[in-house]
Amino acid sequence: MNLNIDAIKGQTFDAIVIGSGISGGWAAKELTEKGLKVAVLERGREIKHIEGYETAMKNPWEFDHRGRPTNMAAEEYWAGMRTGYTPAEEHRYLFENDKQNPYIEKKGGFDWIRAYHTGGKSLLWGRQTYRWNREDFLANEKEGVGTPWPIGYDDLAPWYSYVEKFAGISGQAEGLDVLPDSDFLPAMQMTAPEVHFKNAVNKKLGRPVTVGRVAHLTKPGKQHTDLGRSSCNYRNKCMRGCPYGAYFSSLSATLPAAMRTGRLTMIHNAIAAEIIYDESTQKAKGVRVIDQNTMESKEYFAKIIFVNAGAIGSTSILMNSKSNRYQNGLGNDSDQLGRNIMDHHLGAGASATIEGFEKDYMFGNRPNGLYIPRFQNWGKDKRSYSRGFGYQGGASREGWGRGVGADGFGAEFKESLTHPGQWTVGFGGFGEILPNPENRFVLGAQKDKWGLPILEFSASFGQNELQMREDMMNEAATMLEAAGFKNINAYNKQDTHIGLGIHEMGTARMGTSVKNSIVNKHNQVHEVKNVFMTDGAVMASASCVNPSLTYMAMTARAADFAVNELKKRNL
Amino acid sequence: MMKRRDAISQIALLLGGAFTAPTLMAMDVRKGNTSIVAADFSLTDAQRQIVSAVAEHIIPRTSTPGAIDAGVPAFIEMMLKDCYKKPEHNSFLKGVSDLAKANFLAQPAAGQVAMLTLLEANTKDLMKSYSQKRIKVGDNVDKDTLEGANGVPFWRLMKELTLLGYYTSEKGIQASFIYEPVPGKFELITDMKPTQKSFVY
Ligand SMILES: Cc1cc2nc3c(=O)[nH]c(=O)nc-3n(C[C@H](O)[C@H](O)[C@H](O)COP(=O)(O)OP(=O)(O)OC[C@H]3O[C@@H](n4cnc5c(N)ncnc54)[C@H](O)[C@@H]3O)c2cc1C
Ligand code: SF4
Repeated sequence: MNLNIDAIKGQTFDAIVIGSGISGGWAAKELTEKGLKVAVLERGREIKHIEGYETAMKNPWEFDHRGRPTNMAAEEYWAGMRTGYTPAEEHRYLFENDKQNPYIEKKGGFDWIRAYHTGGKSLLWGRQTYRWNREDFLANEKEGVGTPWPIGYDDLAPWYSYVEKFAGISGQAEGLDVLPDSDFLPAMQMTAPEVHFKNAVNKKLGRPVTVGRVAHLTKPGKQHTDLGRSSCNYRNKCMRGCPYGAYFSSLSATLPAAMRTGRLTMIHNAIAAEIIYDESTQKAKGVRVIDQNTMESKEYFAKIIFVNAGAIGSTSILMNSKSNRYQNGLGNDSDQLGRNIMDHHLGAGASATIEGFEKDYMFGNRPNGLYIPRFQNWGKDKRSYSRGFGYQGGASREGWGRGVGADGFGAEFKESLTHPGQWTVGFGGFGEILPNPENRFVLGAQKDKWGLPILEFSASFGQNELQMREDMMNEAATMLEAAGFKNINAYNKQDTHIGLGIHEMGTARMGTSVKNSIVNKHNQVHEVKNVFMTDGAVMASASCVNPSLTYMAMTARAADFAVNELKKRNL
Repeated sequence: MMKRRDAISQIALLLGGAFTAPTLMAMDVRKGNTSIVAADFSLTDAQRQIVSAVAEHIIPRTSTPGAIDAGVPAFIEMMLKDCYKKPEHNSFLKGVSDLAKANFLAQPAAGQVAMLTLLEANTKDLMKSYSQKRIKVGDNVDKDTLEGANGVPFWRLMKELTLLGYYTSEKGIQASFIYEPVPGKFELITDMKPTQKSFVY
């Protein structure tokens, strides 16, 4: 009896956070710093900051296949293969094996790229960091698309600032409405042809071009060095994990901050299977987990629960949390759970070669490029489709790889490839995807090895996305032309799916009422108020900018609200 | 450079540049597409001699190490086995056997160079015809049915794998480039000399 009580005590916390990725890391930091005892339930294995980055310091020749995925890897990482880079030898160890973690594509395709370990995808993200703009929050309502956002830019602005200062965002302030400035660390430099491009596009087309805004420490402050983080060394091997803690990840930043409060308990290998709903209190009382190795089932209890398992993960946990009251998934009175999958569509743009600039070169491998903010359907600009896209890209000098397609071989050829080649440039769009209730996933009848339902996806692009892609391709070519670049090649990849942007979101959206959405403006599940969702699941629309900064801001805001509510005994 | 390597490989592809085959075709991999099953692959000693000779023609030993010094021939065989499938195995073996039939190894060096120059020209035409066919049928056609089924041609595989094997080997990198695994800074250079070696990180 005593034993039992002790056991339950050991499994009882003030708050539970499910998932240790970008949003879960923030939840853990904020809640522990505000005095709560927090358990983070992470389904994956433990990865330790620095020592866990097993490939970080390897030389190119230490990779057997020099980075290329083998046939075996291609089969096991079949979804990853669609990105063309995630199963590369150098960082494959941080991505999930798709064969071991199956999902089903019913209609269309869906690229579900996963990372189950400490830090989740925060170790792998491209670190491109942009605030949403005012219009992003208003567009749904104005256009009658999806459901209106119950919050606006002003609700998030102070929290953007708050998370930016802690995370460390490098960028150039531009004063643009379409791309609000962050609280920046010094910007990274543009190369000479990039400066030329920026000026030409600005002058001839009136479009701003800025250097990418990235979560890298270009000039660390005390709040960063206190956590053992240091300046970026410009290696651009970030996806292997950064031994300098120079880019923001849960491992370099939020989890150590939570750990130093002494109030964080990290529990690894714990797959959250369901949230336990208490019919009498109409609240959640805990989480049932399955140990991924031993298959043992265990329950943890807390006053509040933050669900941060990544959009699809979090949504599927709610779906799997069935009770008398919620037979169709926790909080799912609106039947919106699992619907409206969004992402950013990409794979359309243009590339070119640049003549001149022979004397320009650079030392260091900048982990960043340029950004061209959305200009479509902005101000006086009107297009045949709604919303818009931004571009990411940049210029660089060719390396030895140019030899593969070039003519020749032999001594002279060999020597020539040791020098930098000509400059090339490319830009690809990141386009907004509209919410569509038919783009969705459901729990399938088949079970995985932990006895959890295998997810079934049906998702495809709509007319709006397809039209936008044409424009994405053509406008990129127009800009390269404006800069006088040569051999312009415009492309619009057809065989791409929702998910390839790895910005999956929208499947438990935020809204104004329990009838149209899953969570309210404080990220609480409408009628199960001690359950908070603050990852991509809650997005009611997608904007066209990379999403993670918004998840960070939302998480910090919701954690603040949650702790205040706890204090007021409202939860 | 940017967030998506995707865009970079697009550039490579469209500029007729870098990497062929698995890396690019891989982007189209569909779940359960096991139509081209991996098979065992190995070369005979006679075939290995040809592969070594061709690799050494592409990257000969000069004042710096050559392909053979850098272990490229064994690398090529391993890569074909581990990272390529039947169509490339076939096209590669066919290329080697064509050279064997033409008595490649018995030719003087200049004759070998002439043969490879011709092979390169033919390969370019062949690849052009594949890509024209593809443009005609449209982007959506599974590449398996065009160049996929034919396999990337022998010369292209040889060249790509020789360059990859050499310029990413320890000997090749140390001899060819300025290797800076931890640059520590990002700095613009505005007065680059033509003798400047590439920085490799
Ligand atoms: C290659 C790549 C490039 C990207 N580039 C950018 C970029 O430039 N800018 C940007 O803003 N975003 C980018 N992203 C997206 C970014 O990584 C995600 O938006 C972000 O990580 C989402 O945070 P999250 O907390 O929701 O989920 P994640 O970071 O994915 O973390 C989810 C965590 O939950 C755990 N988990 C899942 N299910 C369970 C369960 N049932 N029980 C317990 N734990 C569970 C997972 O193991 C994981 O640790 C990129 C992603 C990738 C992969
Ligand atoms: S580029 Fe900067 S952040 Fe990336 S791995 Fe290198 S030091 Fe770390």
